Amino acid sequence: MGVNYQPVLWNRNKKIYDKWIVISILIYLLCFIGVTIITNNETSVETLIIRAFGTLAIALLHIILAIGPLARLNSRFLPLLYNRRHLGVSMFLAAMVHGGFSIFQFHSLGNVNPIYAIFTSNMDYGSLTNFPFQVLGFFALVILFLMAATSHDFWLKNLSPKTWKRLHMMIYLAYGLIILHVFLGALQQQPSIGSIVIMSLGFITIATLHLATGIKETKADKIKTQHIENGWEYVCDIDEIPEDRAKIFIVDKERIAVFKYDNKLSAISNVCKHQGGPLGEGKIVDGCVTCPWHGYQYLPHNGQSPPPFTEKIATYRLKNDNNKIYVLPEALAEGTEVEPITF
Amino acid sequence: MTIVIQIIVSFLGLYFGIGFLFGIYFFIKGASQLDELITESKWTVRLLLVPGAIGLWPILLLKIINKSRINS
Repeated sequence: MGVNYQPVLWNRNKKIYDKWIVISILIYLLCFIGVTIITNNETSVETLIIRAFGTLAIALLHIILAIGPLARLNSRFLPLLYNRRHLGVSMFLAAMVHGGFSIFQFHSLGNVNPIYAIFTSNMDYGSLTNFPFQVLGFFALVILFLMAATSHDFWLKNLSPKTWKRLHMMIYLAYGLIILHVFLGALQQQPSIGSIVIMSLGFITIATLHLATGIKETKADKIKTQHIENGWEYVCDIDEIPEDRAKIFIVDKERIAVFKYDNKLSAISNVCKHQGGPLGEGKIVDGCVTCPWHGYQYLPHNGQSPPPFTEKIATYRLKNDNNKIYVLPEALAEGTEVEPITF
Repeated sequence: MTIVIQIIVSFLGLYFGIGFLFGIYFFIKGASQLDELITESKWTVRLLLVPGAIGLWPILLLKIINKSRINS
């Protein structure tokens, strides 16, 4: 949401958040290096860097994948979601250091192209346990590169939110490749039960959080409206919606959010234009519906972002009959003004 | 298998090689052809977009061509 682009849209919260990211990363690296030197002082500097940054990238990836479902399950995690982008780029940089040093140490000292050597140093592609795990890590790194490189809002606007979202959903493919990369690497290099157990626990945690979120979303989608004559559908009573908040309903297979504010009611699409955030889980701030994910704003009576911004979402007609709210399921064109109903 | 690997590695080299050249074009001209708001933004924004242009050059090239056709 902007009238021109900035390299980074800094604000006080983002600066604090980034400071914590840097401090946490430094503490992790120092601890990892310290523990490795104490327990195995024969480890070379290159190996130490490869392992420190590899484990750092995996830890950050698990945190990133956990933030989305956690924010859907509990709104206290929303500030983390708002700032997740910088964590993603940090994770890619850590993975790149890991990959770069691995290529340098294992593949760049011969007379074969290092990238070609990744694919040919182990040709046991038919084996399950001896499969060349570095190839999996290489493709995961390519996906992470594409994601980090397109993390700026310019890409969201110019690739279209749908394409951008599809591209960034490839994180799950990268995660799968990384899991196999770590498991096979742990099995083939220095069989380590600890690595396998930690990675398994991480996978179970991520899978459980996503499953819990899916169940919660499915339950929310099952809230049915009651059909009545002339196409108007009863959704709820006015008292059921908190002030400056919304209730979300599925009407004609679309999620809509009915907002209550200043003794008025307005209905808009529940889907934010930015990254598809759930507008109905946001609140009215300064007279605008504010997306809980990244703070994009829309005027409740016309679904338009306040000038000079240009985003628009669909609006819906409402009626009030004895404090009962009815909605007309047909979505109006994005940005269509609808007189709010008063009570 | 060696031939398949050679094809994959050659493809990657060619793809990112062309992407690199496109990235330079995108920094100089392409980004502002695609989105006029870029002209009002700092040059550092365009620099930040270069890795994305290298990675997604076929999509961006098509978008720029389509936009040029519509505008002409």
